[in-house]
Amino acid sequence: MDKRYTLKIDRIVEETSDIKTFTFKHDLTAKPGQFIMLTDFEGGEKPFSISECSDEKFSITVKRIGEFTTRLFQKCIGDYVSIRGAYGSSFFISKNKVLLVGGGYAIPTFYFFAKVLLGAGADVTLINGARTKSEHVFADRFHELNIKVINTTDDGSFGEKGTAIEIAKKIISQEKFDFIYASGPEMMMKAMQNALQDQDRVQDQEQGLDYEFLFERYMKCAIGICGNCTMDPLGLRLCVEGPVLPKCKVEQLTEFGKYHRDASGKRHEF
Amino acid sequence: MQKSLKTEFLGITITSPLVLPAGVMGMAFSGFNISIKNGAGIVTSKSLTLEPRIGHKCPVVAEFEGGILNCMGLCNPGIVDGLAEIDQFKKRSDIPVIVSVFATNTDDFLKLTKHVNKSQANFLELNLSCPNVFDEFGIPLAASQDEVHNIVKAVKQISKLPVIAKLSPNVYDIVSIAKAAESAEADALCMINTVGPGMLIDTKMIKPVLFNKFGGLSGPCIKPIALKLIYQTYSAVDIPIIGMGGVTYGEDAIEMLMAGAAVIGVGTAVHYRGIEVFNKINEEMLEFMEENNYQSLKEIPRLEKLNG
Ligand SMILES: Cc1cc2nc3c(=O)[nH]c(=O)nc-3n(C[C@H](O)[C@H](O)[C@H](O)COP(=O)(O)OP(=O)(O)OC[C@H]3O[C@@H](n4cnc5c(N)ncnc54)[C@H](O)[C@@H]3O)c2cc1C
Ligand SMILES: Cc1cc2nc3c(=O)[nH]c(=O)nc-3n(C[C@H](O)[C@H](O)[C@H](O)COP(=O)(O)O)c2cc1C
Ligand code: FES
Repeated sequence: MDKRYTLKIDRIVEETSDIKTFTFKHDLTAKPGQFIMLTDFEGGEKPFSISECSDEKFSITVKRIGEFTTRLFQKCIGDYVSIRGAYGSSFFISKNKVLLVGGGYAIPTFYFFAKVLLGAGADVTLINGARTKSEHVFADRFHELNIKVINTTDDGSFGEKGTAIEIAKKIISQEKFDFIYASGPEMMMKAMQNALQDQDRVQDQEQGLDYEFLFERYMKCAIGICGNCTMDPLGLRLCVEGPVLPKCKVEQLTEFGKYHRDASGKRHEF
Repeated sequence: MQKSLKTEFLGITITSPLVLPAGVMGMAFSGFNISIKNGAGIVTSKSLTLEPRIGHKCPVVAEFEGGILNCMGLCNPGIVDGLAEIDQFKKRSDIPVIVSVFATNTDDFLKLTKHVNKSQANFLELNLSCPNVFDEFGIPLAASQDEVHNIVKAVKQISKLPVIAKLSPNVYDIVSIAKAAESAEADALCMINTVGPGMLIDTKMIKPVLFNKFGGLSGPCIKPIALKLIYQTYSAVDIPIIGMGGVTYGEDAIEMLMAGAAVIGVGTAVHYRGIEVFNKINEEMLEFMEENNYQSLKEIPRLEKLNG
C-alpha cells in the first residue's frame, strides 16, 4: 500500500521571485526523475519532481503558476503539507559521458540526478537554461558539483546567449556523448529530439544517440487507475510508466509535441 | 482438449470474460488499447456526460489497507470527444466496447443515447449509481425502483444498442431494483459500483483526506459485498450480469462466476497488479480450470439459486 505522510516544512529557499525550494525531513527513498504528490488539503494535490534526496530529507522546487502553487508559496516553515510517493519511473544511471539539458523549474531534478550520476562515476555535462537571469535557478549548487556546467539565457543576461537547445546542438556536434537527458517544456524537448535526429543523420550512426526525456501530463490518482495521464498511442500511464521515458518509447509517441489532455480528459494542442 | 476462456456476452463472442470497468484507465483510446493488449475481453468507457467535466478537486483517491476510496467526480471530456476516442479505438480493434453514460434525468439520458447510437460502440451502459456526486446531484437514481425502471424503459425505446444498467450496492433491496431494470427490458446488469461512500481522516491536519470528504470504496474489501449482491440478483433475474468489485486474482473471478456473473470486471486491481492484471487473471482462471478439469467457462458450476 502507498502510504501518505503529513510532514512539516523544514526549510524554504527562495530561488527566484517565482521559484521556491521546500525541504522536508523524511526518508523518501526516491530515485532521480521520480515525483511526489503533494496536498495541503485545501483543494488540489499536484505532482512535483524531487530536487534533492538523502536518507533524512528531500526537497522539491516549485514554480508559482496557478492557484495551488500560489497557496503553497504562502506556507511557512513548520506548516504541514501531506505527500505520497515517490512515484513513477526514474532515469537510467549511466556510468559514461552524459549530457543533461533542461530549463526553468525542470532543472532542479537534475541536481538530485547529477549527484547520483557522479556517484556512479559518470562524466556529466549540464546545460542549464532559462529565459532570463531572474528565472535562472540552481547555478550555485551545480557549480559546487564536479560537473561541467553551461549556463544559458535566451536574452544573454546570464551565461551564454541562446536557448538550451541551441547550445545543446552545438555541443553534440563537437563532443560525443553516450547518453542525453532532457527535462523541460514539451516543445523544448521536441526541439531536442529533432536536434538529436539531425545529429544522427550527420554522424550516420545506425544506433543513434540514446536519450531519456522527463514528461508532464495532468495527474490525478498517480497510481495508474484513473487514466488521466495516459499518452497516445502506447497507452502509457505517465504516473506509472513515466514520467521518465526512454527513446524507444518517446519515438512512438504520436502526441509528443502535439497535444495533451486536461483534467477532463479533453485534448489541447500545444 | 485446449481449455478456453472464450465466451459470449449479449450475442458477441469474446476471448476473455474480463471487462475493463467504467472509469478505470479513463477515456484515452490508447488506454483501452493497452488493456486489451494485456488480456481484457471488453472495455468500458469512462461515464460520459453531455458536457465535459473536470471532476472534483484533488486528492481524488486515497488508499487504505483494504482498497481505495475515489471521488473522481465524473471527470470526462464530454460525450462528443469521448465518442471520438472510441472511434479511434475501433479503428484499431474489433474488441467490444461498452459506452458508459451518466445523467440525472431521462431527457439527458435520451440525448446521450442518440449520440451513442451514431458511434461504433457495441453496448450502452447507464451509470445510475455514481456515489461521488451527491452534493451536486443528490441520491443516485439506482436507489429508486421507479427511476431505474423509467429511465431504462425510455432509453430502450430509442437505443440501437443493447442497454446495461449499472447498479449501486448502496441499497437495501437490490433484488427489486434489479427487477425494475429487467422489467424495463434492460439487456444486462453491471454491478457493483463503488461502495459507501466512505472517508479517511488525516490526523495531523485534522482534515478529511479526500477534498470532496467522501469517496466510493473499491478493491478487495468490497468483494464480499459484491458477491452477495450479485448472487442475490442472479437468483432473481434472467438477464446476464457483469460482476465486479474487488476482483484481484483468478480465484476472485471464479467466485464471481459462481455467484452468477456472466463476465467479470477488473478495476482497482490494475493498481495492485499492473495493467498486466488481465492476462494474469486469465492465466489463473485457466489454471483453476485445468486443476478442476473444466473445459470452458460454461462448465464452471454456479451456486444453487436462492429461493423466492
Ligand atoms: C511528473 C511531473 C513533475 C512535475 N514537477 C514539477 C516541479 O518539480 N516543479 C514545479 O514547479 N512543477 C512541477 N510540475 C508541474 C506542477 O504539477 C504544476 O505546475 C502544478 O500542478 C500547477 O498547479 P497550480 O494550481 O498552481 O496551477 P494551475 O493553474 O492549476 O495549472 C497551471 C498548469 O499546470 C499544469 N498542471 C496543473 N495541475 C496539474 C496536475 N495535477 N498534473 C500535472 N500538471 C498540472 C497544467 O499544465 C496547467 O495548465 C510537475 C508536473 C508533473 C506531471
Ligand atoms: C478511479 C475510478 C473511477 C471510476 N469511475 C467510474 C465511472 O465513471 N462510472 C462508473 O460507472 N463506475 C466507475 N467506477 C467504478 C468501477 O467501474 C467499479 O464498479 C468499481 O471500482 C468496483 O470494481 P473494482 O473493485 O474492481 O475496482 C470507478 C472506479 C474507480 C476506482
Ligand atoms: S494520474 Fe491516474 S493513471 Fe496516472
